[in-house]
Amino acid sequence: MSQKILFKNIDEPGLATLDVYRARGGYGDRLRKALSMPKDALVEELKASGLRGRGGAGFSMGTKASFLPKGQMDKYLVCNADESEPGTFKDRELMQKCPHMLIEGMIIAAYAAGANKAFIYIRGEYQQQAEILERAIEEAKAAGLLGDRLMGTDTSLTLWVHRGAGAYICGEETGLLDSLEGKRGNPRLKPPFPANQGLYQGPTLINNVETLATLPHIIEMGASEYAKIGVQNSTGTKLISISGHVMRPGNYEIELGMSSRDIIYGLAGGPGDGRSVKMWFPGGSSSPVLTGDDLDLPYDFDSMAKAGTMLGSGAIIIVDDQTSVVDVALKTAQFYRHESCGKCTPCREGTNWTVKMLERIKSGEATPMDLDLMASVCENIIGHCLCVLGDAMAMPIGSMVKKFRTEFEEYIEMARARAERELMAGLSSAPAAQPHHPVAA
Amino acid sequence: MPRPEPKTITFTIDGREVQAPENTILVDAAKLGDVEIPVFCYEPKLGAPVGACRMCLVEIEGIPKLQTGCSTPVKDGMVVHTQTDRVREAQAAVVEFLLINHPLDCPVCDKGGECPLQDISFGWGGGRSRFIEPKRHFQKPLELSPLIAIDRERCILCYRCVRFSQEVSEDYQLILHERGAQTFVGTFDGHPYVAPFSGNIIELCPVGALTSRPYRFRARPWDIEGSGSVCGLCPSQCNVTFTVRDDRVLRVLARQNDGVDDGWLCDRGRFAYQAIHVDERITEPLLRDGGTLRPVSWERALDEAASLLKKAGSRVGALAGGGTTNEEGFLLQRLVREVAGSEHLDAAGIDPVDAWTLLDPALQASMQDVEYAHTVLVVGTEPVDDMPILDLRIRKGVRRNRVKLAVATPRPSSLDANAALSLRYAPGGEGAFVAALTAAVYGGDIEAPAAAADASVDEIRALAELLRTGGDGAPGDVVIVWGTSMLAADGGAVAPALLKLASGLNLSGREGGGLLAVPAAANERGLLEAGFAPGMAPGFGETDGEGEAHAVAGIAAALRAGDLTALYLLHDDPLVTRADTHGWDHALEKTTAVIAHSQFLTAGLLEHANVVFPAESYAEKEGTITHPDGRVQRLRPAIGRQGSVRAEWWVLTELAKRLGTDFGVLTGAMASQQLFAAVPFYNGLTLDTIGGKGVRWPADAALAAAYPAAPEARRDAVYAEAAEPNGALRLGTFRSIWVGADVEASPALKFLAPRQMVEMAPSDAQRLGVRHGEKVLVGGDGASVEAIVALRDAALPGSVFLQTGITTNAANVLDGPLVEIRKA
Repeated sequence: MSQKILFKNIDEPGLATLDVYRARGGYGDRLRKALSMPKDALVEELKASGLRGRGGAGFSMGTKASFLPKGQMDKYLVCNADESEPGTFKDRELMQKCPHMLIEGMIIAAYAAGANKAFIYIRGEYQQQAEILERAIEEAKAAGLLGDRLMGTDTSLTLWVHRGAGAYICGEETGLLDSLEGKRGNPRLKPPFPANQGLYQGPTLINNVETLATLPHIIEMGASEYAKIGVQNSTGTKLISISGHVMRPGNYEIELGMSSRDIIYGLAGGPGDGRSVKMWFPGGSSSPVLTGDDLDLPYDFDSMAKAGTMLGSGAIIIVDDQTSVVDVALKTAQFYRHESCGKCTPCREGTNWTVKMLERIKSGEATPMDLDLMASVCENIIGHCLCVLGDAMAMPIGSMVKKFRTEFEEYIEMARARAERELMAGLSSAPAAQPHHPVAA
Repeated sequence: MPRPEPKTITFTIDGREVQAPENTILVDAAKLGDVEIPVFCYEPKLGAPVGACRMCLVEIEGIPKLQTGCSTPVKDGMVVHTQTDRVREAQAAVVEFLLINHPLDCPVCDKGGECPLQDISFGWGGGRSRFIEPKRHFQKPLELSPLIAIDRERCILCYRCVRFSQEVSEDYQLILHERGAQTFVGTFDGHPYVAPFSGNIIELCPVGALTSRPYRFRARPWDIEGSGSVCGLCPSQCNVTFTVRDDRVLRVLARQNDGVDDGWLCDRGRFAYQAIHVDERITEPLLRDGGTLRPVSWERALDEAASLLKKAGSRVGALAGGGTTNEEGFLLQRLVREVAGSEHLDAAGIDPVDAWTLLDPALQASMQDVEYAHTVLVVGTEPVDDMPILDLRIRKGVRRNRVKLAVATPRPSSLDANAALSLRYAPGGEGAFVAALTAAVYGGDIEAPAAAADASVDEIRALAELLRTGGDGAPGDVVIVWGTSMLAADGGAVAPALLKLASGLNLSGREGGGLLAVPAAANERGLLEAGFAPGMAPGFGETDGEGEAHAVAGIAAALRAGDLTALYLLHDDPLVTRADTHGWDHALEKTTAVIAHSQFLTAGLLEHANVVFPAESYAEKEGTITHPDGRVQRLRPAIGRQGSVRAEWWVLTELAKRLGTDFGVLTGAMASQQLFAAVPFYNGLTLDTIGGKGVRWPADAALAAAYPAAPEARRDAVYAEAAEPNGALRLGTFRSIWVGADVEASPALKFLAPRQMVEMAPSDAQRLGVRHGEKVLVGGDGASVEAIVALRDAALPGSVFLQTGITTNAANVLDGPLVEIRKA
């Protein structure tokens, strides 16, 4: 069992209140220390910690903060709490049980970025968590931890909670910014990057909940101490959400670099009942899948990248050997078709096409040649889209077709045979023809 | 804002070195090297690229992923490939994706044959589809508005129309509904998309999703010819291409001229062509015979008109309407002055000396200056009604170049929301307001004139501060967009005050700043310059005539008094276009001979004209007109004259001949030559040099130098005080963009012809006990009009606004300055 940082006291009753959080060291010397550091030194400290973004892209947090232009202008800090990657539910627990840790982290990040306005963009479904955050913000305000000249320093920060309306795309940073501005949540063309022109055209730092919540601990431990945890290029601990066919699904805090087998079997208990791991998404449903053969990979950013996938948001989804890969592929593709914003062509049309092909496979109207077509469509999506949503479908589906082609082919044959049988049986009872083209309003 | 002055860089595309201005968007820069990068969503007119369609993916050395050419600015040394396998495959993939849900119903699609989706599919597509699934289906086609049909199955979701509505015309009506593959274009509230510039989305659409309902199924691209000319319906004078089939105009498209229209058209300009081919149009000469107008031969009509003119001798007055060309105005003033020996002619109804001083080329701002100025002041005009395309230009400057906009009008303006500062003054207080503003810039008493204009002194001071400092201490180019109707209202005071204001802001001789007049009629400036103004010869020269030359109101009075006995109306009907309907009605009643050129039998002609010559429509005319910023533009006939219509220049020349004078004009071009020779600052212009884009003579040093020096501005000008309401209400008027015989006659546009509304502040309505939408009578001494109450939050209490020029209940019958409102 590795060192716990974020989840150290997570199950302590009342941790969501200011008093208990303070008793556990919150808003104390470490915050005072951070706010007394020169901004540049604080950014350097964050860089030195090696902390990589916990939302999915894994970009160095300190480096991102250093991209914001210096000088007097309206700058913003935005916390991405739109945790909507399927399989990911770590931020939810963090915000629900320890909202002040996020607020404290945001005070530090806002100070480092020179922002005095900050927003928490939280997904619409997290109503309870949004209310908890609102309460915590009120508490912090009353205690002089937010607002003008907080804690008697020259720093001011106003913090708002903004609830989304339920769109995966609003977790994409520029889609989030558009949604926060009150527009349709569509991703923007980059460049300009948010660090230069983000919210309301102002320089904006956007980070994930877990990333921001880690900052107080980095300050407390010191960057060099923090960097000693984990492995090279993947420092620190990571909250992971394990779901799917495991005995003990849930959130765990691990030290990066831990063996995947220890996570899946050790912490989560494995699939159990004599079943085995057929495939697993190491970092949410948009990461290319790994198979049972990959269980000994160390769980860190670089190892996952080397294996052709990604650590993403740290959401491990386990699929056992009793489950058809076609069902997993269809479910995954349907999610991305539903969530595609429709702005760019390859994603809008490609996700739609892929779902239709998978449905055809399910209904026994496909041939193995369709697998080549599906792989080709996925390839045509990857790297051609405005944001990464298209890739997020094409990569896992592409990897499934590649790694489980035989199973796909067997399924196609089986489904065709079944469809033929049903057709023959149906001919005698001749059902009424269904309209071929459903007409939308 | 300073205009960008980019430096030239060299980049490589497909192995060729190409020079281009730095930071040009790659798609545009590629064209300089004869390389076409296909695009759908990219349209520079719409502002920043969105990168949505992904059609323009290209390879740039040093960047691992393919990049969108529509969003990549070129840099020195950049190496671009558009012909590698990787690029070709990506582009073919995008075409394939776009076509999977497109119905491919090209044979029955209006766009077929002139469709970018067709062209790009042939040029860059893979040639076959691998998609065998059912396509997405929508009900089709739907009426997006009475003018536009939407076929959502054909839509490739390129965002152009939505961006136009959101970011160019700023009517914010079009949005995308739903998401993903189910996305479709529609209006936010599901109501029809009715807006002054809605038709532009038809032209923007790169597929057949948005089609013109009046044009739908009327022609295929291989049936038609395009014919370039200029729209003569309003002072915007947008450059257009008429789509002609079998000698009929079937469509009007924008012909982009950045100096004039930026490639946009208003819906009136786009759809009013229908009025060219309607039964109501007069297509043969008419003669009053036993009380009714009957068709006669040209010989008979000309003889009759000539004998009427001969009888009247020098007791002839003449009016010309806004659609009159420079040549027509020039020839008619010759007819009136040289042949009849009268001095009584007018078009604009403003003092030509005021115009002379204010149109000075040293003070003249151009249309593009509006876009790049530091500060733009709109005073005494509503651009969207008076000169629609200017409205888009102002919005563009504010949105893209952060131009600071100030609006000062009696009536709430549609630009208020974009303005850094917006203030109101009372109708009738034009002179006082400009005097107060001048005092605030220059020094002097502000309080008294501000009170006379019922405007706030603080707001005027703030406006002066904005004009002087640009709001941030950096004084810069100021463009003052002013309505010439202010001169008609209180000319004696407005003109000298405007001149003083301009000199206080150092606008004289300034590149990038100056005055830009918004005339009340399409070719008002051209007619002034061609000498169709009382007491002013062509080119603001002296006339030979003696005695007073009557202006519009004077002509009416002289007709009533019997001092004038004949009236020549060139594209004008005073009962429709002029103020004081009753006075004019009386005057026409008394007039022995009314000779008119007109396309339609409007009220005054129907009742009073003795001879009516059928007039050419703007699509049949040749000649020149002059844009408010001094650009002389050329009209070219797109179709033959309908029926037995003949050219106006020919009619005027024939009449002169019958009265014993040979104008020496045998062709339309000869009339232009005479005009160019007679106006000093047109000297040297030829129809060829004017060409398709026009010539801005104030920008030509030699021509500008020929402008005759204007007399000193009057120093003793006294402004009029806006009337004190004392329980009544001040009357202000405006003319909607949708007012005109062409709108009334166009089947497609008819639904937009406005009904009378009385716009008023909610506090006044409350005091009078009337509600929004209620029918009331608005009246002064004796006359009244029926109107629907329309409440406007931003209206100045104590003032109400009515429309002029509409067919029934027009405010022209009211004298003002005060009116009362009764429940109907």
